[in-house]
Amino acid sequence: MQFAPTVLSPAEEALRAEVRDFLAAELPADSRPALGFAGRHDPEFSRTLAERGWVGMAIPPEYGGHGRSAVDRFVVAEELLAAGAPIGAHFVADRQTAPALLHFGTEEQRRRFLPGIAAGEVYFSLGMSEPDSGSDLASVRTRATRVEGGWTVTGTKVWTSEAHNNHFFAVLCRTSPMEEGRKHAGLSQLVVDLHDPGVTVSPIPYLDGSHHFNEVALEEVFVPDDMVLGELGSGWQQVTSELAYERSGPDRWLSTFPVLREWLRERPAVTDDEAAVLGRLAARARAIRHLSLSVARSLDAGAAPSVEAALVKEVGTRFEQDLVEALRDAAETELDQGSGSLFQALLAEAVLTSPSYTLRGGTTEVLRSVAAKGLAA
Amino acid sequence: MSDDRQMLTEVATGLFGDLCTPEDVVAAEATAWSGRLWDALSESGFPLVSVPEEAGGSGGDVADACALLTVAGRFAAPVPLAETGLLAGWALAAAGLELPEGTLSVAVGRPGDTVRLTGRRLTARLSRVPWGGRSTRVVAFAETGGQRVVVSAPTAAASVTPGRNLAAEPRDTLVWDDVELPEDAVAPAPDGVDPAALRLRGALARSAQIAGALARVSELSLRYTGERQQFGRPIARFQAVQAHLVTIAEETQLAGLAAQVAALNARPDPSFDDVAAAKAAAGEAATVAARAAHQAHGAIGMTKEYELGQLTRRLWSWRDEFGGERYWSRELGRRLAAEGADALWPSISTGLVGELAGSPEGAVA
Repeated sequence: MQFAPTVLSPAEEALRAEVRDFLAAELPADSRPALGFAGRHDPEFSRTLAERGWVGMAIPPEYGGHGRSAVDRFVVAEELLAAGAPIGAHFVADRQTAPALLHFGTEEQRRRFLPGIAAGEVYFSLGMSEPDSGSDLASVRTRATRVEGGWTVTGTKVWTSEAHNNHFFAVLCRTSPMEEGRKHAGLSQLVVDLHDPGVTVSPIPYLDGSHHFNEVALEEVFVPDDMVLGELGSGWQQVTSELAYERSGPDRWLSTFPVLREWLRERPAVTDDEAAVLGRLAARARAIRHLSLSVARSLDAGAAPSVEAALVKEVGTRFEQDLVEALRDAAETELDQGSGSLFQALLAEAVLTSPSYTLRGGTTEVLRSVAAKGLAA
Repeated sequence: MSDDRQMLTEVATGLFGDLCTPEDVVAAEATAWSGRLWDALSESGFPLVSVPEEAGGSGGDVADACALLTVAGRFAAPVPLAETGLLAGWALAAAGLELPEGTLSVAVGRPGDTVRLTGRRLTARLSRVPWGGRSTRVVAFAETGGQRVVVSAPTAAASVTPGRNLAAEPRDTLVWDDVELPEDAVAPAPDGVDPAALRLRGALARSAQIAGALARVSELSLRYTGERQQFGRPIARFQAVQAHLVTIAEETQLAGLAAQVAALNARPDPSFDDVAAAKAAAGEAATVAARAAHQAHGAIGMTKEYELGQLTRRLWSWRDEFGGERYWSRELGRRLAAEGADALWPSISTGLVGELAGSPEGAVA
């Protein structure tokens, strides 16, 4: 395992300054920060970012993207997340779907979807979890049946974030029956239009009452052959690799940072106890950032840091939660989502949403198993 | 890591591997000294790395010294490697004072410590001085005539009350009772050479040592849990044990990288934010990883002979020395609070700064 210290080049520093200036001008001073990558769905903001070249950074220019490095993406992402920018509309498509299309997609699929993703206009949800299939993805029951020219898909996906706002999702489903002892075989990823008549999107109210999760029912949805993503039967390998390297970005440790900043803003003076809380969180954030940036640099060097990435997500998402609880304890308050204090309102939101940080993109328990296997190797 | 520093690390690893085995550490803890190891280190010039050659040191920079300290920490080396060069040597060289032979130590000023200098007559009480009793000189600061001075106090003239930390490393109390100092013992302290700067260097040194010790704790834990069989399989196959291994690895990497960045950013002197964050992170990492490692090891880890305890007793000592987690968190927090909410993110995202000597743009250190 190798985490090497890395320095931002002058060009990377210049990019950071550019993003910082943009955010200072673009985000109204009195706007409420979004918490994390799923914090707020704002297509207009996504398009504005895309116009600056900060969406689709990993996508090559021939597909409408910008062919930038993992570190450049890191720099932009951390500035957006630290500022609490509303990046929820495009983020998942940009982080997860675009690389999957680049790795596994056909030339036609890339040309169809990538320019829209890079323009901040085409949004994807993830189609993995089902009522009886969470961490054990190989157990999905959604089934695709061979028909003339493609497949018909029937099944139910759940916890589908923003399906009511997004355009497509890549559905992990069974394209051939489960064989004894080979449960990972026979799964495929099919790109499904969320607006297809056979698709019914129903809200599953989120813990805090908001509309974030959905149940997505697929009833004999026709998916043409050219919407199969990657190899037939390789769905499990594709989704696990899709998860692997996207685990360690700033979206895994910065979700609650705006709560800390607004807490500090509302302190007229800090006591020694409060200073100790602030210092501890800042020290930890710095250290986790060093690790996260190091993974980005090693991706650019062509490495495959899957264990490192799992460690960063595991420690980073727990930090996001620790931050919330440390501030709640320090604030000696009673939580109220409707509080007139921005800090208090954000804190309430963070308490209600923070359990998701250690679930989404691989639970803490699954990550520990992944990391432990890598450590033992 | 630069090629030179890589080579330094490799040579040091060989030297410690030969002369600082777990058996050597047990022996050194009994006698409070490891002469064979210290002599070999001195011959190689390692204790005075980061002290300029023109001042009698070995040259190199703070990051070189920290690379050595990381190796020393990994081997639980019971010698004042940090104190002699990076701390005492730095203050003496900066003040233009002679670098004496032998081991040197420092006192940053603990509660109850006093240093009174009248002319060249010293009355002082310094507590928990690392290897104080066997050092040639102890370096401390004093105010005299409205001026801050570096004092290089000969220990031969002090009465010594031995003390130990949890790892049986000497932490002695020294008292000078109206002692006339030699001429080469006092000089004005230049700007930036003061107790706060000394403490910062001490904290950086302990962060590097903790990083090294944690790396070894991580290895030992992986090895032991991979070999130890219970219920018919290696205990590393149990998820509950895996959780400990992952925690240890995370804390090790977190503390290690923070210490490395703090060392690399010391050009030439360590930066407050880097070191405060590194020591706070190292202290927390030491606590969390030591607990997880003992849990993963079971009773074998509680024996004096087994290597784990040599490392964890040092982690439990070093985390408090030159300021513990609360101290550095509070100091960092005060500074950040003074800068205001909008300066918080720019501070946290500072990272490794500047160009690295010999590295292409954006390359890893």
